Amino acid sequence: MDTPKKPNTRGILDWFDPRGRNVGGWGFIINRLSAIGLTVYLYLHLYMLGKLAQGPEAFDAFIETAKQPAIMFGEMLVIIAGLYHGLNGLRIALNSFGIAVPAQRQLLYGVVGITLIGTVVFGVRMLTAH
Amino acid sequence: MTEEKWTVKFVIFRKKGDQPPRYDSYVLEVDPDEYVIDGVERIWAFHDRSLIFAHACHHSTCGACGMRVNDVEKLTCITKIRDVTTNGGSLKIEPLRNFPIIGDLVVDMTRMYAAMDRVHAKAVHPLSAAPLEGEGIRPPKDVPRNNGDEYLRLADCIECGLCISACPVAGTAENYLGPAVLAAAQLQGLKHNPDLLDLVDCADGLWRCHSAYECTAVCPSNVDPGWRIMDLRRQVVGERIKRWFVKA
Amino acid sequence: MQNTLSQPKPGESYLLWLIKIVSGVLILAVLIIHFLVNHLFAPNGLLSHAEVVAYYRNYPIVPIMEGFFLVFVVAHSLIGSRSIILDLRPSPAVLKVLDYLFIAVGLFATAYGIWLLFAVINFGV
Repeated sequence: MDTPKKPNTRGILDWFDPRGRNVGGWGFIINRLSAIGLTVYLYLHLYMLGKLAQGPEAFDAFIETAKQPAIMFGEMLVIIAGLYHGLNGLRIALNSFGIAVPAQRQLLYGVVGITLIGTVVFGVRMLTAH
Repeated sequence: MTEEKWTVKFVIFRKKGDQPPRYDSYVLEVDPDEYVIDGVERIWAFHDRSLIFAHACHHSTCGACGMRVNDVEKLTCITKIRDVTTNGGSLKIEPLRNFPIIGDLVVDMTRMYAAMDRVHAKAVHPLSAAPLEGEGIRPPKDVPRNNGDEYLRLADCIECGLCISACPVAGTAENYLGPAVLAAAQLQGLKHNPDLLDLVDCADGLWRCHSAYECTAVCPSNVDPGWRIMDLRRQVVGERIKRWFVKA
Repeated sequence: MQNTLSQPKPGESYLLWLIKIVSGVLILAVLIIHFLVNHLFAPNGLLSHAEVVAYYRNYPIVPIMEGFFLVFVVAHSLIGSRSIILDLRPSPAVLKVLDYLFIAVGLFATAYGIWLLFAVINFGV
């Protein structure tokens, strides 16, 4: 008997390789990247909010540092990831109950469109607020 | 066919045994209306008799000649060279992903065949389960319809393995049943095969699908595995919730 | 029972998946409110410490909402992370350890969040 052979795959790299992939494949790649990013952000966010318990000095100093451009750029990424992941989640949830699967591509265009509009709205708001 | 001639560079994946893989290039003069498999066969016939590749029927029925052509899974016997490259362009030909490579362009698809057996996929579908359209034979009610008029048949699945190659997670999740197999389970129907419920409602079943719909995008036979997986999810969730109230 | 024990554990099921979908939809609903209040209506884009405390005290529904939000988000993130790890085909032993880890993280994050909510509401009292 032959020993079991390894499948022809590059493993995790194949999750994220968009070459030759279609619209839905791109949807999956962005969904997974945003999922990982949002998970990291969530626990970072929870940790940082711990400063609320330390009183006004600690928290307000933290809010001041959060107004640096680099941090604000990071927050923009969180907003984009959140919008995309949430809206794409709705698309997949609908699909998974057998609804609108043939329209998955159009739904994804809608998800991306709303994400872009939301990004512009939040971006403008962020830049004008400071 | 026209008298048109194209010069196309075929870049072919080569691997024998434990050798490291390499790519061999062959420049061919082809008619753009020829199929990709024709070029591969000519390379074997006139340039390198050691090239290993699989083919049989040449008309999209046997499912043997699936390959990755410029990173996209194609049934090479129905893929015109005109549709995948340009005059002076190149064609990268690789074996399917997510199956072990036997040699060069041939892969071992045991993974799919064995799983097909587990979901009782039939080698030959009786007309009652997979009717030919327009013959006036009415299938059981739970055989799915497309937009209400046309019956869908998994008999269309030629087990070519393109969907498992295109699936982004089938590589890391080696035990994942895969799109073709879940589609076959969906066609058998949970109603008639309640034992399929545990088989598909597990970590190696429905929940490894993350809705990339690449399976449907590459399927050469319109099986639409993406839709079938989603429909099977609906069936499984419905059945499980029903069992909260009614003992099976 | 012997039969089920000798069979491989299913590892994942419709129930986890359903929780992921339902919590996802709830997160989306609460997140819209969370975003509007904390980042759009707040005068400087982000609330100051005093504003957060006043906001929580004046609207008791807000800390309750944030508490549920926390539970949904943590559950969703853990089930999602587990799903990604299952794509990597972990051995049953590794999965078991990870499951305990996920449960520990979930419980800790929830307890920590609820403690934080009370700490904010009772700040300076």
